[in-house]
Amino acid sequence: MDADAELMLRVARGDRSAFTPLFDRHQRGVARFAFRFVGDRARAEELTQDIFVKLYRNAGRYRPSARFKTFLYRVAANHCLNEVRKGEYRVKHVSEGPEEGEPVETPAPEAERPDSHLAGRELESQLGAALAGLSERERAAFTLARFEGMAYRDIAEALEASEAAVKSLIHRATLAVARRLDAFQAGAEEPLRSRA
Amino acid sequence: MSCETEAELTAYVDGELTPADASAVRAHLAGCERCRSTETLLRRTLGTLRALPDFEPSPDLRRRVLARLEQAPAPWRERLAALLRPAVLVPSAAGLLAAGVVTALLWGPGGTALPPGLQDTVALGVALNYEVVADYELLGLDGPDDLEVVEHLHELEGRP
Repeated sequence: MDADAELMLRVARGDRSAFTPLFDRHQRGVARFAFRFVGDRARAEELTQDIFVKLYRNAGRYRPSARFKTFLYRVAANHCLNEVRKGEYRVKHVSEGPEEGEPVETPAPEAERPDSHLAGRELESQLGAALAGLSERERAAFTLARFEGMAYRDIAEALEASEAAVKSLIHRATLAVARRLDAFQAGAEEPLRSRA
Repeated sequence: MSCETEAELTAYVDGELTPADASAVRAHLAGCERCRSTETLLRRTLGTLRALPDFEPSPDLRRRVLARLEQAPAPWRERLAALLRPAVLVPSAAGLLAAGVVTALLWGPGGTALPPGLQDTVALGVALNYEVVADYELLGLDGPDDLEVVEHLHELEGRP
């Protein structure tokens, strides 16, 4: 049994103190998943809070036969999908442009070089547009594969889908994102070539 | 027109195919320029995604989550265990028993109405123990749905 599973079983037995190390270990991944899912930092953090509270409340349902990480992302994916479907969170991505006075969302502090920062922001914007164009399940499967590094089998368990369905979701999503980023990068390189 | 193998390319690049399937895709790639081009595009994209800056949650997130957990009710097992401690259970059981006996005296065959003061005492006894039964549905905890209801009972508290 992995260390996370042991901690989760302690939480299920009523040991609140066991929850803090679990949170510390996984908060970044869950927040990253939520950010890629809704495209908005503040909303991603609200979702992250909800997910961990839900995880805590449902600790008794955890069975060590399931890997903890898979269980966690099952809770996370269900919560994000439900909230978006309920209309609580409109999927917003940086490609839509910030509202007046609102900064463009970026996943990390600004890079040191202004030009690389600008390129990074534009790339983020294109990625956001590509993610917004995916179905919710494609976006969830893509995010778990590309940003959480999960295997197809684990993603299938987290999304309660077959492995074949997940393979198809990830393929369609990756190809859509690849084409969007490729078109953007080809366009960005064009002025450089014409100047040379 | 795209070829059928294209649907396998992402799984191939991700190393998710069986050795036999991967070998078949490799053989196909040797003779299909279109799929080779898609494979190159996919590999380049995965490299681009890996190079993106990581998402950094705000330092305040931890404090906010832990504060919410402090306010959240303890898991139902913990709450139930606390209620089943002898110090709580024995007086509660005695109260329930007393309430049951008095109710039987009142409503059973040959029962007589008690004076209003005693009726109030009975009502108080029932009310005191009602929470134990109503909050935890001790008699009906037999499935995950019941647990879900019990788990979120606190959310109903305070609602009209």
